[in-house]
Amino acid sequence: MRRAIRYVILMALTAPLACVRDSDAAEAREPDIVRRQQPRASAQQATFIQHPDNIQPGLSLRGGFIRLTNPFEGDQAKVREGGALFVSYNCMDCHGADGSGAMGPSLADGRWHFGGSAGEVFQSIYEGRPEGMPAWGGRIPDDQIWRLVAYVQSLGAGKDVSTENFTGRTIQKMGH
Amino acid sequence: MQIRHVLVLALGVAACKPVGSNRDSAAVTTGAPVVANARIGTPVPPGDGDWTMPAHDYASSRYSTLAQITSANVKNLKAAWTFSTGVLRGHEGQPLVVNKTMYVVTPYPNVAYAIDLTQPGYPLKWKYRPDNSQAAVGTACCDVVNRGAAYSEGRLVYNLLDGHTVAVDAESGKQLWRVQMADLNRGETITMAPLVVKNRVIVGSSGGEMGVRGWIAALDIATGRELWRAYNTGSDADVKIGPRFKPFYATERGKDLGLTSWPGDAWKIGGGAVWGWLSYDPQLNLVYHGTSNPGPWNQDMRPGDNKWTCAILARDADTGELVWAFQVTPHDYWDYDAVNENILVDMPVKGQVRKTLVHFDRNGFAYTLDRATGEVLVAQPFVPMNWARYINLETGRPEIDTSKATRQGKLVKNICPSLEGGKNQQPAAFSPQTGLFYVPTNNLCMDFESRPVSYIAGTPYIGANAPETGGPGNYKGEFIAWDASNGRKAWGIREPFPVWGGALVTAGNVVFYGTLDGWLKGANARTGELLWQFRVGSGIVGNPITFTGPDGKQYVAVYSGIGGDMGLLIAGDVAANLPFDVRERGTTLPDLARYTSWGGMLFVFSL
Repeated sequence: MRRAIRYVILMALTAPLACVRDSDAAEAREPDIVRRQQPRASAQQATFIQHPDNIQPGLSLRGGFIRLTNPFEGDQAKVREGGALFVSYNCMDCHGADGSGAMGPSLADGRWHFGGSAGEVFQSIYEGRPEGMPAWGGRIPDDQIWRLVAYVQSLGAGKDVSTENFTGRTIQKMGH
Repeated sequence: MQIRHVLVLALGVAACKPVGSNRDSAAVTTGAPVVANARIGTPVPPGDGDWTMPAHDYASSRYSTLAQITSANVKNLKAAWTFSTGVLRGHEGQPLVVNKTMYVVTPYPNVAYAIDLTQPGYPLKWKYRPDNSQAAVGTACCDVVNRGAAYSEGRLVYNLLDGHTVAVDAESGKQLWRVQMADLNRGETITMAPLVVKNRVIVGSSGGEMGVRGWIAALDIATGRELWRAYNTGSDADVKIGPRFKPFYATERGKDLGLTSWPGDAWKIGGGAVWGWLSYDPQLNLVYHGTSNPGPWNQDMRPGDNKWTCAILARDADTGELVWAFQVTPHDYWDYDAVNENILVDMPVKGQVRKTLVHFDRNGFAYTLDRATGEVLVAQPFVPMNWARYINLETGRPEIDTSKATRQGKLVKNICPSLEGGKNQQPAAFSPQTGLFYVPTNNLCMDFESRPVSYIAGTPYIGANAPETGGPGNYKGEFIAWDASNGRKAWGIREPFPVWGGALVTAGNVVFYGTLDGWLKGANARTGELLWQFRVGSGIVGNPITFTGPDGKQYVAVYSGIGGDMGLLIAGDVAANLPFDVRERGTTLPDLARYTSWGGMLFVFSL
């Protein structure tokens, strides 16, 4: 297991990464990962939009990401590897240590701008998001993105931050 | 894990409840100036009832000769009117007042408002909403702030977060030109306030945490055409070092130091951004600016002095040529940017009147330099500080306590000041009446652990964790008066939180400043006695100004709207409008969210 972690980190550090904001690759076509996992995606999508009650504002209907499942679901080793990648790809310096939020939004509060399902988190990493989240799809291997998804989803699990009580102890936060 | 333990301990010691301000050794008598024969080093702009440039004058004094509001009557100051900017997030900077019009520029999306001061209810003359890329929001390191506009000959000029500089017709609000100066894809944004010198607009880049290569440039104010651009790392040609370059200290001399003081090509992504304030001496025709930290924070990755990061640079305003340079913190270990304002004052030092530049650095030392040569005349700590023993005046360099030098893989504990600095962007003020400088300061310390980091364009290039705690004593900020002739504190007002708003001092012997917990305060400039305070809606990270209204009355104006690095990152999330992203509170200012939440208001006061 240790060896595996090292391998992943090494890949992360040496992966050839050019300008990560160039999302042309992701825009141009449906990613392989979506086609592979969802051979009948277009049929399902057509069925979905015939039921207006199910249409929600702001929901992205393209790409089929939302129905993707994480092949590493429940794999704690992959969560740890994702945590290492989170540091290696500089995710931490935007989203804060332990995903607590900094330049970028918190990933640890159990709340999601663009959906918190595995497929939606995958899509956020793969395609990027408008307020500066880079599109990593095609820049790093899909299996590394899934490790990141596993890690990110583990951060906010079971948290309730709806109420701030100012008399209790506070958590520590690191990073910048 | 280890860090967690240390922090919990540190918190136990540093836990502090915000209480009323404590005065610290206010022992100055009234009457004569504390520092005699000190005067602002540049001409005061005509029509002192206006406020036409970010720091009021080219010297960056933030001093006004207006004197209706005095230390005797300031207790009667009342809110006259307010205006909502329609934007939350950190309202750093200050409004301008020109020709009976007030100009307000908001944080991203950088909306500009022109407010008619002659009409009841202060209606808008115009509102300008620029095209401004949304991607800038996640590219800016430390909140989406803007530090204000400059005015010149019927034009309002300012920078957009996404890297454009714009000029707007001050009467109509019509966009005159819009020029892309910075590249978001490389992590560059712009947050600083430009300065207009003759027919040139001087602007600089932000992005010291993103592996940028910092620069400063001049644009033709009529057209937006770029006249010169100087980089702060790289070859002498790129840095604009030529025959006129005569630095005072030997370590600043040599060929291509912007290349040779870096390993390999590290200078290309080495920081040295220009996100702070600019000053200008018309007589010497020099523009003064600081440069940011080197990237990454992990110093093991960039052996050498890393020139010209963490430096004060003096450039010819017409050509951008570097005339002198002084690297305040060579080979920075602690994220001590040198971008803080440089205040130009002529005053006696060691018995002789000198043309000085006074600079309160992030590193905790207050420097009094000769602004013609870059010689350090005085350098004394102005906040609790432990990373250096002293500044060697023979070399200009700090004598470092090596136990506080950060190293990869090592947790170095209790470094003071923290990476937020003894002072950050919050600008100081100078009064020729008292000869004193008025300085908003932080009292924070940090632990620092660095690690290897890869450069990935458009992502942070940092490679360190640096959790912060309060510094020694039961306070995290202090508003101080400083004698820069002798390098000593005259008085101080202790605050429960870092003082992240700037200072304003007037001929009425009143000094104004705002606090993170939402108070605008007025104190006696000679003695530091607190005379007046008013609770605005949201914490203050902006800078008060004063002006004469069309009715002949003196007004004081300030933005309310917490944010910036201190509000956004350190205090945790204090916003209520986002159903997602409810961040847990940070450790450094765990109680701040109890005293403020996000806002965006202009407050105007009068007697």
